Amino acid sequence: MAPDTIIARLIALLEDFTQDWDQEPDAGMSADTLLLADLGFESVDIIQLTVAIEEEFKLFRTPFDKLLMKDGRYVDDLSIGQIATFLQPYVQAA
Amino acid sequence: MTSTLFIGLDGCTFTVLNEMVKDLPGEGITMPFMKKVLEGGVRARLRSTPNPLTPPAWCSIMTGKNPGAHGVFDFIRAEDKGGEVFWTLYDARDVDSEMIWSIASRKKKSVAALNFPLTAPPPEVNGCIVPGFIPAKHLRRNTHPRELFERLKQNVPDFNPKELAWDFDNEKQALEVLSPEDTEKWVRYHLPREEQWFKVAEYVLENDKPDLMAVMFDGTDKIQHQAWPSLDPALVPKNPQGHDLAMRQVCLEYFRNLDRYIERLVSLAGPEAQVFFASDHGFTASTDVLRINAYLAELGYLTWAENDGSEQALRREASDFANLDWSKTTAYCRTPSSNGIHIRVAEKPGDPGISPDDYERFRDKLIADLKALRHPITGKAFVADVLKREEWFPGAHMKEACDLTLVLHDHGFVSIRNLSPSVVQRPTPAGTHHPDGIFLAYGKGIAPRGEVDLQQIVDVCPTLLHSMGLSVPSDLEGQVALNFFDEGWLQEHPVKQGAKTRAVASRAPSEEMDAQERQQMIEQLQMLGYME
Repeated sequence: MAPDTIIARLIALLEDFTQDWDQEPDAGMSADTLLLADLGFESVDIIQLTVAIEEEFKLFRTPFDKLLMKDGRYVDDLSIGQIATFLQPYVQAA
Repeated sequence: MTSTLFIGLDGCTFTVLNEMVKDLPGEGITMPFMKKVLEGGVRARLRSTPNPLTPPAWCSIMTGKNPGAHGVFDFIRAEDKGGEVFWTLYDARDVDSEMIWSIASRKKKSVAALNFPLTAPPPEVNGCIVPGFIPAKHLRRNTHPRELFERLKQNVPDFNPKELAWDFDNEKQALEVLSPEDTEKWVRYHLPREEQWFKVAEYVLENDKPDLMAVMFDGTDKIQHQAWPSLDPALVPKNPQGHDLAMRQVCLEYFRNLDRYIERLVSLAGPEAQVFFASDHGFTASTDVLRINAYLAELGYLTWAENDGSEQALRREASDFANLDWSKTTAYCRTPSSNGIHIRVAEKPGDPGISPDDYERFRDKLIADLKALRHPITGKAFVADVLKREEWFPGAHMKEACDLTLVLHDHGFVSIRNLSPSVVQRPTPAGTHHPDGIFLAYGKGIAPRGEVDLQQIVDVCPTLLHSMGLSVPSDLEGQVALNFFDEGWLQEHPVKQGAKTRAVASRAPSEEMDAQERQQMIEQLQMLGYME
């Protein structure tokens, strides 16, 4: 799947995901949009997002640790583009 | 038309229920409708899963199979990777067995399942699912069908997802020691929550009239965790004053409301419906704390990690997850709620853990060591029983169970904190899960037999299916509770055995995916811990 297609599907998913969160991002979402800084994610929301991503792309038990951790520490924030890059090999495998 | 109404009452026990239907001095009858149900129906104690805990036990109710078959053992799922343990939450996709909602749906029955754990993300069913244990922000996406959420918003007066849904920050206090004021506040917080679930149930039952209408009320469990001394007749003070009185009153208010909800739902279901009640486990008083990892450390099975004072180390120490030196640990407990011990077996020579050949000998010695622990005051065995997984969790997922599951003398949950001594008395008795919950039936075709013999938790699913007129899949482990029904009804409705349940589609990751694990944020999972 082309990276742009993955990004577009993630944006559609995230627009749906955040619709009840009582906050409007200043501009529309893009590959640079950050989960915590721009969309107001808390860490519990990330668990929910990983489930929603797996549902959307028909994946199961994807190693999200490789996305969420770097050098033994949790990353501070994630952009939609970073998630798309991470997902690409798994989406193709599926 | 609704043929079967199923009301789940998390953690409900006859110890409390029997009191609520008595005419008590100064309090009267708190649950007059339940009195009518108990007098006009049939009841049994219901034996829970070997570790009587919400996720495995409700999954056994929903699937008619034991945790070794359905694959859910705890709130969190962990995998020992040799040097690290990875944690994540169990969700509906981990339930490796068809749930009653799907079984009934493919047999052309309509269903509604409200507030049941492990129903998110919701499976495709003929009807609706609003899952339990999901934060408000994620409720819409996890509601099936999606438009139901909008219908609820528009049609249920004062519908408020924030009041309805799971609030981690609040729920994590279930086993914390709270101040008297906070305890009362905490109980009071569950009153509007339950009212919200009732209103949703009332709306769905009135408008959709599903063949199987099921709703779970979980305030019973939460309140009993914090307010057990205000509910257990053996502990309630004779003439409560001040805080004791306020606690007793707010508890009675909760049960009075619950009685009103039940009466309304039973009346909406109509005189033709059969009504069933079940709890996932019972409740009792825990008087002592066993710091299991501290005890294992004393015996040399476990070594704590060095705390280097870093932010991460401090966070791990404060969390509900064992922070261990994995190279020097052969047996440990991962989570308090598991009440279990994992034995670390080396996958290849040189890896940490015991050699596979040594497993039986090692395990027998560990069992003997656990059984040797004595209560410091009474001198009696502290660990009442130690369960081997192959004997208690038969099925494809047996190896995901703890190697050993502990049954403590007071049914308490272990603590995994690095504190000394390893056994202490609680300052006051605290509510804990008892293996025997409740199973009741009432309504048309139900025999008014009063109390009958103990039933097993896996009997609930086949009994509900039978009540709906459906055959019972041949691979369910439970039996229809035949003595719940009157003879005339049973003659007209003989039990039909059906084909096996269907395999669950989402459990088919590719080989590559299967070998890999989803790891998620340890900090998040702290919130689900049962803590000392």
